Amino acid sequence: MSDVADMADIPHLLLVDDERSIREPLAQYLTKQGFRVTQVGEAEAARARLTAYAIDLVILDIMMPGEDGLSLCRHIRETSETPVILLTARSEETDRIVGLEMGADDYVVKPFSPRELAARIKVVLRRTAAGGTRQHAPDAGAYAFAGWVLKTGERALVDREGVSVALSTGEYNLLLALVQRPRQVLTRDQLLDLTQGREAAAFDRAIDNQVSRLRKKIEPDPRNPELIKTVWGGGYALSAEVTRL
Amino acid sequence: MALLVAIALFLAQAINFTLVLRDRANFRLAQATRPVATRIVDALEREQAGRTLSPDRGRVRRVAANPIPSDLPRHPEVSSELREQLSELGLRVGRIDTGLQPAPLHPDERDLRLGRDGQSLLIAVEQPGRGWLSVVAPWPGGGGYIFWRLFAQTLILYIVMLAAVLWIARRISRPLRALASAAHDFDPSVSPTPIVEHGPSDVRAVTAAFNGLRLRVTAMLDEKDRMLGAIGHDLRTPLAALRVRIESVEDEQDRARMVDTIAEMNRTLDDILSLARLGRPSEPVTEVDLAALVDAVVEDFRDLGADVNFEEAERLRIRLRPSLIRRAIRNLIENAIKYADGAEVTLRPGPELIVISVADRGPGIPAERLADVFAPFTRLETSRNRDTGGIGLGLALARAIVEEAGGQIALSNRDGGGLCAEITLPRGR
Repeated sequence: MSDVADMADIPHLLLVDDERSIREPLAQYLTKQGFRVTQVGEAEAARARLTAYAIDLVILDIMMPGEDGLSLCRHIRETSETPVILLTARSEETDRIVGLEMGADDYVVKPFSPRELAARIKVVLRRTAAGGTRQHAPDAGAYAFAGWVLKTGERALVDREGVSVALSTGEYNLLLALVQRPRQVLTRDQLLDLTQGREAAAFDRAIDNQVSRLRKKIEPDPRNPELIKTVWGGGYALSAEVTRL
Repeated sequence: MALLVAIALFLAQAINFTLVLRDRANFRLAQATRPVATRIVDALEREQAGRTLSPDRGRVRRVAANPIPSDLPRHPEVSSELREQLSELGLRVGRIDTGLQPAPLHPDERDLRLGRDGQSLLIAVEQPGRGWLSVVAPWPGGGGYIFWRLFAQTLILYIVMLAAVLWIARRISRPLRALASAAHDFDPSVSPTPIVEHGPSDVRAVTAAFNGLRLRVTAMLDEKDRMLGAIGHDLRTPLAALRVRIESVEDEQDRARMVDTIAEMNRTLDDILSLARLGRPSEPVTEVDLAALVDAVVEDFRDLGADVNFEEAERLRIRLRPSLIRRAIRNLIENAIKYADGAEVTLRPGPELIVISVADRGPGIPAERLADVFAPFTRLETSRNRDTGGIGLGLALARAIVEEAGGQIALSNRDGGGLCAEITLPRGR
């Protein structure tokens, strides 16, 4: 990595965790995966690194002595567009929602698989790179379409009457991908790509199958789908108007 | 309570009333008889001293026959009382007769002076062989008047007392009732708003003590939650460190086994923490489509390649805590997969109850141990080794979740082999 031109191409990650036992092997693993990793053990040092380097993505532990991860996350969101992935020790809903409201782009729950973390880093980096400007907290909040509300914090789909309709992980990921890109034709490959970064669950399942299951849940008449249209020769597209709430 | 007080007070007053009335009657009797007895003894002594008793003059007169007209009302109680008093004074007499004389229609001056404007009682005492002695005694009239006066007095006292007692009882019982309902509705997941202290000082003290107790209980539960959070964090951190390091293990098989072990440890930790926190669920009750919920759980398993069947069901609205119930159903399916490599899930809505059943074709559980497996950390002989083990907390947690939702969970062995776990949920909640 002596070549400066090479360095610019390698994503630079800032890993903030007070636990050395996690931080060091994780930094090692991510370096092996082709990232440049700077690691720090506390929020203060992290702030210094953020101004000193052009950081592409921050991996942030929520629970830290002194200034905690959430507060640092808010600081990052206020001062820059750098994406953040949170590490949390608790799987409780509240943590997830608060984290995403603070402007984090994603989160993983300890103990996490390093492979999954690497996959998510790539997804977030791709998302930010593709959009040019970063979508503000794409995961937090709710999307309204055709009488339905998809609440991302609670991962719940709620109908007109306020009844929440549970979705499997695969269905949720697929629907999220669709509502975030209304009226765009998404190929099966694109959909697989968009949904696979999150959980291993969706990997092997055929997209067509997921779409038909999703149609059964949200279409007024699943045989003549109006919401999720099949685009001949292309893929699928959400035909409804989507409002961010 | 108010009725009881009213009855008790009424009884006390009634007893008091009769006592006073009897006392009054006795007093009147004594008042009527005692001077008469003295006079008779006096007169007889004077007679012995040589002064004859005139039949028509003086207070005590001697007559030949019973002088009392037969049409006057009698007072036999006076007779018996008088006889007693005379015998106490050592005088034995024959018959004693009485007659109540109405008040004179036109009392003259003398009558008024002597206070004889009221009724008077004629008393005749027979001395066998010597004729009768006759005495007139004033008879305090107005028995009825006294009765009514006493009655009115009692009634007023009764009403005043009752009103006072009821007012006090109300003052005590209202804050007590508020206290009782607060204690009954005590929900440790909601931060307590103290009950306003009012009422008498004793009740205020009880209310204050209750408020304090509630604060302490909530503080203790908060402390427990904090502690559990810390335990969770402190155990997950080394697990996470291990999980990261495993990635550098070269041997594919070894690595997979380590990953599974860590996942299992993490699941157990999750189950312990959830079970310990279930008394104060952080998830709110929401209206959900239960059919979609069961379907989503099943679908997640199928995405992982598990053989789980679910007959799609009609939309079914119910109020519950969705992720907890998801967890309960997931635990049952997980068990079925562990022991039988597959599960058949059905959802049967009834008019009042909804039954979710998870059935498998595994080895089942000996009938006498069916109830045991719900106890935390129970393992059956057949599940001792780690490959199939792990019944430990899953069922206990599932049961705790279902019971928290007001439902029940039951296990039974199926005809033809296998186990059937049934969650029964009440519909209207």
